[in-house]
This record gives sequence, C-alpha cells and structure tokens, in this order.
Amino acid sequence: MSSADLPAIPSQRVVEALAAKLRRRQVVGSRDAALETVFVLRQVIAKARFQNIHQLVVLIKNVGRTLAQAQPKEHSVGNIVRRLLHLVREEYNNAIKSNAPTRPRSLTIANFVLQGQPRKASLVTKAESSLVLNENDPDDPDSFAKTLKPVLMEAIQDTLDELDTVYESIGRNAKDHIHSDEIILTLGKSKTVEMFLKQAAHYHKFTVIVAETGPSYGGHEMAQSLSSIGISTFLVPDSSIYALMSRVNKVILGAHAILANGGMFAVSGSLMAATAARAHSTPIVVCAGQFKLTPLWNLYHEYGALDFADPSSVLGFDEGDLVDKVDVLNPYYDYVQPDLVDAYVTNDGDHPPPSIYRLIKESYDDEDNEL
Amino acid sequence: MTKAERRELQERQRAAKAAAKAEGGDAKAKGGGKKDGGAAAGGAGGTRKEPAARKETQAAAAAAATARKDAGGGVAVGAGRVSGVHAVAEARGLRIFSHFALQRPVAAAAAKGDVHPAIVRLGLMFASFRICGANARCIATLGAFKEVIQDYSTPPGTTLARHLTTHLSAQISHLVSARPMAVTMGNAIRQLKLDISGSDIDLPEQDAKDALCQKIDDYVRDRIIIADQVIQETAAKKIQNGDVVLTYARSSVVEKVLLQAWEDGTQFSVVIVDSRPMLEGKRLLSILSRAGIPCTYLLLPALGSVIAEASIVFVGAHSIHSNGAVYARAGTALVAMLAKRHSVPVVVCCETYKFSDNVQLDSFTKNELAPLQAFGAQALQGGPSLEVLNPLYDLTPPASITAVVTEVGVIPPDSISSIPLALGRTVF
Repeated sequence: MSSADLPAIPSQRVVEALAAKLRRRQVVGSRDAALETVFVLRQVIAKARFQNIHQLVVLIKNVGRTLAQAQPKEHSVGNIVRRLLHLVREEYNNAIKSNAPTRPRSLTIANFVLQGQPRKASLVTKAESSLVLNENDPDDPDSFAKTLKPVLMEAIQDTLDELDTVYESIGRNAKDHIHSDEIILTLGKSKTVEMFLKQAAHYHKFTVIVAETGPSYGGHEMAQSLSSIGISTFLVPDSSIYALMSRVNKVILGAHAILANGGMFAVSGSLMAATAARAHSTPIVVCAGQFKLTPLWNLYHEYGALDFADPSSVLGFDEGDLVDKVDVLNPYYDYVQPDLVDAYVTNDGDHPPPSIYRLIKESYDDEDNEL
Repeated sequence: MTKAERRELQERQRAAKAAAKAEGGDAKAKGGGKKDGGAAAGGAGGTRKEPAARKETQAAAAAAATARKDAGGGVAVGAGRVSGVHAVAEARGLRIFSHFALQRPVAAAAAKGDVHPAIVRLGLMFASFRICGANARCIATLGAFKEVIQDYSTPPGTTLARHLTTHLSAQISHLVSARPMAVTMGNAIRQLKLDISGSDIDLPEQDAKDALCQKIDDYVRDRIIIADQVIQETAAKKIQNGDVVLTYARSSVVEKVLLQAWEDGTQFSVVIVDSRPMLEGKRLLSILSRAGIPCTYLLLPALGSVIAEASIVFVGAHSIHSNGAVYARAGTALVAMLAKRHSVPVVVCCETYKFSDNVQLDSFTKNELAPLQAFGAQALQGGPSLEVLNPLYDLTPPASITAVVTEVGVIPPDSISSIPLALGRTVF
C-alpha cells in the first residue's frame, strides 16, 4: 500500500502531546495512561476521514504505535488500542454479517480446525443490524465513516465507562476473598488493591499489613488511606515481610501488566513477597483491571525487560562523593512468574494464571498483537 | 488458673449440677448420670447459658433430653466463644504483636540499685543503637564488665566466687532493660559466671579479679577476634575472580571477609542490598567503595531484578540455632530465599560463640522492635488504627542456607548441632 493511500493522522498534535507526556512520565499508572489513550483515540476517530475498514484500522494502529513506542513499558496504552481495534472489527463484522447471508456453521472435526480459535466475540450477535456500510463509495466517500462513526463512539464510551468503574467491578467480589479476622499483606500503593480492601471492609473486620516498598515508600500513603476508614493497619519495612509471613493469611498485590503466560509485571518487591508467600504456602491474589492484560510472553526475568527509575531516591547526592563511585539501581517493576500467583481478580471475574492466554485471545485480535 | 479461680469454677459446676438434678427430678430420673455430664459441660462453658439449658430440660422428653441437652450445651458453648471472639476482635491487632518487646523511653530507664556507671553508659548506647551488632555488643559488654569487676570489692562475710555473680546480675538486668539481650552476650555472660564461680577462694581478691579479666580478654580474643580472622581467611577463599558477591545490610564479619578477599588480589564486585529501618548497608558501601571495590547499591524490593546476576551471597548472623536456622537482621531470610530459588549459594559467616542451644521455628515468636525515634521515622497521621512495626530480626530456615562458615570450618546448617559436641561442650 502506497503512503498516498493512507490518510494522514488527524489531530496529530494531540497524539504527539500524549506521546511526549508518556515519554516524560507525566502520565504514569496504567489506568491513567489507558484513559488518556482512549481520549486521544476518540478525538482522532472523530476527526478522521476514511473510506473503508482497512484505512480506519491502519489509522488507529498508527496512533497506537506512536503512543506505545513513546513508553514501551506502559503496556496498558497498547492494550487499550488493541481493545478498540477489536471493537471496531466487531462492529464492522456485525454490520457486514447482517447484510451477507450468514451461512450455517456446523461443528465437525474438519471445520473445527479450519475455523480456528472459537471466539467469544463471534458468538455474541448484536441486535443492531440496521447499519448499511458502503465501503469505497465513489459518489459519497464519507458515507462509510458517517455510518460507522456513531457506533464507534458508542463503543469508545463503553470502554471509558469500563475504565471508570474498573475499581468497583474488581472489588465486587472482595468480600468473598477476604474473611473476618484475616491478616492480609500488601505492597506499596495500588489504587486497585486499596479499593478492593476498602470494599471488603464494609463486610468484614480484618487486619492489613502494608509493606512500605522503598524507595517510593508508597506504602505510607496506602497505610494512611486504609486506616482512615478504620481498617486495622500495620505499616512495616520491606525487610520484615518474611518475618511476618507466617501469620499472614493472604497476600494481595496489584499488577502493572498481566502477561499472556499468566505472569505479571508489578511494583518491585512483588517478586520477593510472592516468593516468601509461596515458601509459606500463603495464597497470592492479584487484583487488576482487564486493560492490563497484555499479549506478550515474558518467559525470563530479563535484565533488559526492566525499567529503571531515578536512583537518587535510593542514594541521593547528600551522600557526598560516594555517589560517584557506586552503581545505584532502582527498577520500577518485578516480573512475577505465573506459578507464584494463585488467582487474578479482574473486572471480568476471577481467573487462574493458566487461563489468562484465553482471556487475551478473547479480548484482542491476533493481528493486532504487533501494533 | 489460680486456686481461687479453680474453686470458683467447681462451685459453679456444683450449683449447676444441683439445679439440673432438681429439674430432672420432676421430669424423669432416667438418664441422670448422663444429664449431669451435660450440665457440667454447660457449667464449664460459663454461667450465662444455664437458663437455656434449663429450658431445654423442661421441654424435652426424658429419653431425648440427654442427647438434646448435650447438643444444646454445645451450641451454647459455641455461642459464648463467638461473642468472646467479637469482644477480642477489637484488640486483636494489638494482641498479636503484643509479645514483642515494647520500646521503653531511654532516659526513663533509670539505674536501679547498684549499677556501675560504665554499665549505665553502655545501656544508653545500646538503647540508642550507637553500639549495634552482636559482636560489638558482646565485646562492649565484656569490656564494661571488666571495669565492674575491677571496681568491685567483696563485702565482708562472703566470697568473691559467691557474691560477684549477684552483683553482675544487677548490671545485666540494667542492660536488658535498655535493649533485649543478644544471644552472644548471653553466651559470654554464662561463661563468665562459670569462671567466677570456679575462681579459687584462697586467691587474694585483686589476683582473682585480674584472673577474671584475663579470662574475659581470652574469651574475646579466642571466640571473637581470632575466630573472625579464621572465618575471614576461609570465606575469602570462596570468592573467585570475576564473582559478583551479594550481601545484605552490614555484618562486621562479612565486611572483613570482603576486604580480605580484595586485599588478596581477587577481582570481584559487590552488590549491597539494604532496607529500612536501619539502612546499615550505606555504611558498608562507603567502607567498601573507599577500599576500591566496585559496588552496586540497591534497596531490598529491587533484589528480584539482580539476584540472577549474583554468584554468591554472604550474610552475617545474630545467632544460629541448633536446628540450623539463622537469626539475623530482618531481610536476610528474603535474600537467602531468593538466592536459593535462583541457585545462588548462600554462605553465612558466624562464629561458634553465636550458637544457641534452643530450636526456633519462626521469627514471630521472638523478635525485637526497632524504636522509631532511633531511625528518624517521620510521624504518620493515620489515626488509632494505624501502627508502625519495625521488627529487627528474622529467621532464615536451614533450607535456604548452603553453608555456614565458622572458625572450625565450613559446615552445612544441618550439622550445627554437632558443633558444641565437637568443641567438647564448652559453654558458649
């Protein structure tokens, strides 16, 4: 396809602005990044001119690639782009299918293989089939966009609503996971875990041990927030995780990104806590929104897969000339292997790590894995 | 249960039995014996559910009465327990950690009785963590005891061998009030007391005191200084060229080992892992980097990212138990666990005088809390339901330790219990 065939990215400025923000880490946190991405994509799609589905997909992919490359470790950006692409195709296919006669598909062994992966999406038939799509209409080039855009906006709004209520939906089953008088251990500051615990606190009385998680010490904020609504909270240094683990009933962690193999990237210290929990046979529950599901396989804890933060919070310049002589490391994330996690609690229900790949297959299209 | 309490309970049970008998009499006298059992069970549960049990008796037919009352009693006992749990639940958060030694205000630990000024000074230094670490505390204590012994004069009508121990006990209890006693101190003091009680009665007082001081010096020299040198040489040989040595916090022995290995000309780099509340690793970092050893410094949460790069882990110990578990600075267990998971050998450097005879299974039952003010912890506003805990130690299970380097050789942690026997069971 020649470049002339491709429409230029409209609202280029908005895209560049977000890319810059991501690069400078002015937008951090997977949910915020996801929300910003949806806002940008909504603007882009609203102003975009396209004549067929292919142009639209290429357009969204281009924007997605720009944003994802700006901050490759902020996986939720790519995820939300994939999610939207999936929705676009779904709407398109629904419209096409209603026009074309649907051929009955009988399930035999032969076409089971040919059909490929059975999808949840293909099973859901939407009611609205009134869409008449005129692709590449030479008389009215905008007719395709005009008919598709309202539906797309609706889908984007749905995605936004999902992101807005993600914490509430994750915490819906909190009371079933936490029981009275349990001792829960958590790490640092995760908004998801915080809301999860607070929702459980409506039903049960329990104790939370918060590891402060240096060098950001997000645990301080977390402990204050939890104790402010009357949850019995203990703030401990990271070093005492092992010492206290023998009395902990459950470890609840947040995630940065959940990978296709069932492992996850999470705030540094998570690997340590999860391993200690495993050594004591304590269950590990990870709370995360569905937008953190990432079609990525990370089989190794690669040094290069890490993301490093500012070392000055570990060893600052107030240490004098010591700073010049030594290396100081401050990674953002840990990779936690799937065998260390017992359950993922998402806004789409609870899942064991081995079924994550299936969720990812259902949420995204295979061709979007590489943006 | 005190005698009075037991008597009260018996009284209550007897009363309950009598009541049950009286009512059972006008119902039927058939299952009397069994009924008594049921009533007694009810009585043991507490007095408040007697009426319920009584009502049951009246309503029930004689044959069914016993069985049902038993069940009723069971339910009542259960209910009593549940309400008890709810009452306690409020205080639970406190109760579970209540056994940790509480932080006393340092200044308030006024010297009671006949406490030597050297001990008072030492107590303050312990409480403010100016002297910290098992070896340093033991050496400082023994040094202070030498002063105490030299300034001691036997009161008339008693002997040094008999009286000096009681005099020392007052000093020891003052030190313990400042900070819980280290295992090393306990072992050294036990040895000292043995020496005191074994000192010759016929010896002139000054000679006996000099002899004791000599014994203290010998103990420090043999069990700590020389032992460290031997460990230093043995452990330094375990470091090869190009190794990445990982260590946690700061152990005086490990520091010496690393410096020795560097002096021997081995080229290696050190990863120092550190954590709050003490951040002792910074001290080690400045010492090692001053010696020219290439160092990397990181906090404990980042350990998962670098543990695969390490070729050997060296840690120190506070004490080592006869089941091979190592009681050391909080965080050591995490480092050892992760290292073991990544097949990195974990070597503990520990003198034999740190051995403790008892078996410890987890670090929850016996631990010490770091005083917050000693580490400049900022006050957190979180209301009554927020508490800050800083346990100082944790227990590394023998499964995550590869070897223990002692002055008598490198041994696996499972064989720790054989060391006292091999040393001829001298007191540690």
